[in-house]
Amino acid sequence: MIFLRLAWRNLFRNKRRTILASLAIGLGLSAVIFTDALMGGITNNFISTATGSWMGEGQVHSVGFRNTQEIENIIKNREKAEKILHNDPHIKSSAPRVISTGMITSPTEVQSVLLAAVDPQQERTVSRIANAVKEGEFLSSAEGREILIGVKLATVLEVEIGDKVVLTAAQAFNGELAQEMFRIKGIFDMGSRDMNGSFALIPLKTAQKMLNLKDGIHEIAFQFKDIKQSTDTTLPLWKELKATGNEPLNWGELMTELSTMLEMTDFALGLSSLILFIIVSAGIVNTLFMSLYERMFEFGVLKAIGTRPFQLGKLIVLEAASLGAISSLFGMLIAAGILLLTSYTGIDYRGTEFVSVAITDLLYPVVQIHQFIIYPLGMIFFIMVVGIYPAWYAARITPATAMRKKL
Amino acid sequence: MNSVIELQKMNKIYKTGEIEVHAVNDVSFTIERGEFTAIAGPSGSGKTTLLNMMSGLESSTSGSVILAGQSIAKMSASDLSDFRRDHIGFIFQSYNLIPVLSVQENIEYIMLLQGIPKEERRQRVSKILSEVGLSGVEKRFPPQLSGGQQQRVAVARAIVSHPDIILADEPTANLDSKSGSDLLDMMKELNTNRGVTFLFSTHDSMIMERATRLITLHDGAVASDVTK
Repeated sequence: MIFLRLAWRNLFRNKRRTILASLAIGLGLSAVIFTDALMGGITNNFISTATGSWMGEGQVHSVGFRNTQEIENIIKNREKAEKILHNDPHIKSSAPRVISTGMITSPTEVQSVLLAAVDPQQERTVSRIANAVKEGEFLSSAEGREILIGVKLATVLEVEIGDKVVLTAAQAFNGELAQEMFRIKGIFDMGSRDMNGSFALIPLKTAQKMLNLKDGIHEIAFQFKDIKQSTDTTLPLWKELKATGNEPLNWGELMTELSTMLEMTDFALGLSSLILFIIVSAGIVNTLFMSLYERMFEFGVLKAIGTRPFQLGKLIVLEAASLGAISSLFGMLIAAGILLLTSYTGIDYRGTEFVSVAITDLLYPVVQIHQFIIYPLGMIFFIMVVGIYPAWYAARITPATAMRKKL
Repeated sequence: MNSVIELQKMNKIYKTGEIEVHAVNDVSFTIERGEFTAIAGPSGSGKTTLLNMMSGLESSTSGSVILAGQSIAKMSASDLSDFRRDHIGFIFQSYNLIPVLSVQENIEYIMLLQGIPKEERRQRVSKILSEVGLSGVEKRFPPQLSGGQQQRVAVARAIVSHPDIILADEPTANLDSKSGSDLLDMMKELNTNRGVTFLFSTHDSMIMERATRLITLHDGAVASDVTK
């Protein structure tokens, strides 16, 4: 107890230095906390944008469809697969889709497109594409001659709401070309160049007839009640869907670039935290050694009057821990202030696109309890570890040498 | 035998490159319990080095020290710390109290290391402060005291744990003559009334006059050893 008291009081012998050192360390800690919270926000934003705008948190395809996009490769046992999704307690919603490539022709231009056919009512429960309509309206029914295209494609084709376009695609099973005329019902802006420039949406049943698919579909997109469950591969859902002869995948497996990027982000955060901690540690060693040098005679006296080397080392480690505690307090206060502010204002990175995912909403840092427990405790522990070197130095110096103030 | 310290053929050689300096040269003497001894000599005569070696603050090149019946030669650093804590009281030239501890905490420090219960510590602090004429300053911190008062607290700290000997290195050097004289009178009283053994390193004539034995060092060797 006497050493803790001594350590705490020693820290305030040079108040200015202690406060400056604590502020510097605290700023480092607040940067780590804020970066972690911001990365959490970016991750959530990316995942929700990627999964919510079109992809869904999971998809079912026939095995091999994702590689070849063969139009004949429709989902097997569609009804069974849909029933599994409908009955699963973790699933919020699902929507069937037909996917094909084709050509879209306006009176002035021709463009290749990725064609997606949807049931508008079900699609609204899975993706946000209906909300992304900037001009006109979303598809009104699963049948009819309505088409939705992206803003960039509309510009290229020089078309407006109500204009006619012709879609050409290869039919299933017979390979013959099918052509249908559609009228522009809406123009969407998904924030992504790929989606806005080469993506068209038509009613599901119309596409099935046009492509000779009967009741066939290529994809079922679905959303979980809780997004965290989407990456839980132990859920029976995945096995059951696989048993239908299809390939069920979660968003991480569907967008490996995104999950890799997020893993890299975690790694980068860890690395930058480590670098920051090393920089901070250099500052701490410097502060402790300055304090040590100033009090070398005093340490000699403490040893002379009966303080054991280990006890003297303990005193210095406790001083380091006290410095860490004050620094952590500063760091947490600074971080809390910045997080509080940015939680109200948000951070505007809208329009930025990465791995084909566009940030469409303001970024909000995600505050988690571990940021205010693990990082500060880690910082205190780290500072204590860093303090071992000066402690060891002071512990092994002989009292007479210390009293001659020789470093 | 009632000796507190026995020095036998103590030598200390400092090496600076090729040059060897004999700081202490074949010194042998014994300090008996209750003595009030001064080691005198000019600067560089080896007084402080000798004091450091006999308390284990510094190792000797050769020779042996028997303090309170124990040889300190082969003690580990931790054992030496414990030994000093229990057997030696130190008084330094510049007081060297711990500035962040109050007077009471400074005096209690060694007893805390010894694990003496709080109640006994407080009783001893109160008694010793009364003996050194500083009752009522328990809660003050060293910077709030005069040099003379600080040195009295240092004396209190040194004797409160009842060590076998007090080693005082130039205790009056930083004090004015009045404060120095008062301090020495107080130490002499402790020596006379309580039988506390004092060994001074000094070139202060006031100490030499009061000392009952005067050992004079010259170039690291004992030039004279006179008991008055």
